[in-house]
Amino acid sequence: MTQLFLFNVFNGLIIGAFYALMALGLSLILNLSGVINFAHGGFLAVGGYLAYTLMPFIGFWGALAVAPLLTALIGLLVEFVLIRRLYGRDPLYSLLLTFGLAFILEDGTRYIWGAATVPFDIPDWMTTALSDQFFFLTGYRLFMVLLVFAAVAALFLLLNKTRLGLRIRAGSGDLETVSALGVNVRVLRNLNFGLGIYMAGLAGVLAAGMLGLQPTIGSALIMPSFIAIIVGGLGSLPGTLLGGLLIGVASGVVTVFFPSASEAVIYVMMGVVLLVRPRGLLGEEGRVQ
Amino acid sequence: MNILEVDSLQTYYGKSHILHGISFHVGEGEIVTLLGRNGAGKTTTLRSLMGLTRAREGSVRLFGADTTAWPPYRIAAAGVGYVPEGRRIFANLTVEENLKVPLERPGPWTPDRVYELFPRLRERRFNKGRQLSGGEQEMLAIARSLMLNPRFLLLDEPSQGLAPMIVQEVFNVIVGMRAQGISVLLVEQNVRAAVAIADRACVLDDGRMVFEGAAAEFAADEARVRALAGASAERWEAA
Ligand SMILES: Nc1ncnc2c1ncn2[C@@H]1O[C@H](COP(=O)(O)OP(=O)(O)OP(=O)(O)O)[C@@H](O)[C@H]1O
Ligand SMILES: [Mg+2]
Repeated sequence: MTQLFLFNVFNGLIIGAFYALMALGLSLILNLSGVINFAHGGFLAVGGYLAYTLMPFIGFWGALAVAPLLTALIGLLVEFVLIRRLYGRDPLYSLLLTFGLAFILEDGTRYIWGAATVPFDIPDWMTTALSDQFFFLTGYRLFMVLLVFAAVAALFLLLNKTRLGLRIRAGSGDLETVSALGVNVRVLRNLNFGLGIYMAGLAGVLAAGMLGLQPTIGSALIMPSFIAIIVGGLGSLPGTLLGGLLIGVASGVVTVFFPSASEAVIYVMMGVVLLVRPRGLLGEEGRVQ
Repeated sequence: MNILEVDSLQTYYGKSHILHGISFHVGEGEIVTLLGRNGAGKTTTLRSLMGLTRAREGSVRLFGADTTAWPPYRIAAAGVGYVPEGRRIFANLTVEENLKVPLERPGPWTPDRVYELFPRLRERRFNKGRQLSGGEQEMLAIARSLMLNPRFLLLDEPSQGLAPMIVQEVFNVIVGMRAQGISVLLVEQNVRAAVAIADRACVLDDGRMVFEGAAAEFAADEARVRALAGASAERWEAA
């Protein structure tokens, strides 16, 4: 029983780490540019497939390093060509655009790599369990959680210690004033979009190693990631992180006692948070809308 | 040479016509104060100069270049510091972080130098913007604009909501800017304090320039103050 419980908590933590990684990217883009990026899951799939294609040439570690960067590059391009045209307009436009983009990315990956799940080879030593008692704790799963936490830590360092990060945080509250202080906000939004997509790409490579790859790999993650943002509080990145981990672990725990409710619990949590604390767990006052 | 030359500027918010062809200038090393009652178009004028609300007609020349259609970041990068109405401090950033947001043009102003000017800010450098008092926020807004090492400073109602002693401190700093060769365009409701430090005064009414001349001349003409500066005339009397 303890084993089963731990197994599911750990599973929840992994899923939660993915939600958090996705949701942080979504949050960055939403906070600075006001765009709800429905195509985020599509970029995740692109990251995974790029790694899959690159792996025969540069190995797992090379692919892990390069594929998210390439995904981010595609993100920069997409922002430059399409998304930036819709800034300042009714949010409905960008919503429709990214919604369409999500289909394009999904069908594009299906066209190039096929609809069937393709296997994704990770180094052998990573696939074995670390101990008999904790059979679920493979090297890869542990590595994945650690890497996600490292990536999140690096993101928070960037946001708090670099000029780019400070400008992103400042611009999320008041972009106009940032521009009046001499910062090219077109470039700022472009880089910020790329940063968000980088995290989707990274999540894609890691998810591929655990689940294998198929074109719809991102769609299952996108709704919970939005919910993570709402639970954590709109506008708060620490909140987004907390929200992602919380709903991941909650669905893991519920799986132990009531497996069929493991998805519903996410929505129930959102409902409870919205009733008790409408601005989300760490949301700022006055940003409820 | 004039730092700023504004010619027949017309600015709209959507369909509402706000500035009806205003013209004025700011000379090198001058403090010019822009006065006018609530809603006269002072903030709109500064926004047009900064490229935040682009003028539909007329022209803005800064440091000799036509900047009418430039985006705000380019205007700032040319050396224009902007202290917006209401300060608009980045509330979720600390004082120190606020100072790192602007583009840093080369020049004498560094965070250390700014902390010497405003010791209060040094004491509060790890506090978030939202934890500052109104006076501290005003100091931070000025300090933030100085990080750009501006040649020209636009200030929108720096005295708003401040205690008289703090107003005096802020205005002393503005006079100090002029001494360092920074030209200043000062929008104010506090007419008495503004004309006391300004070289020249401009008065806007309903989007039109109705007075431009020496600050002392304007200060002497109390009837004019009463007629044109509207709400600020009451402060004039109260002060
Ligand atoms: N974003 C906007 N959209 C439409 N109209 C606006 C907008 N901002 C200001 N106005 C209008 O433009 C006119 C000039 O406003 P502005 O803010 O420039 O005046 P002001 O002289 O700065 O006044 P105050 O002393 O109150 O700050 C006012 O009638 C105001 O209602
Ligand atoms: Mg104003």
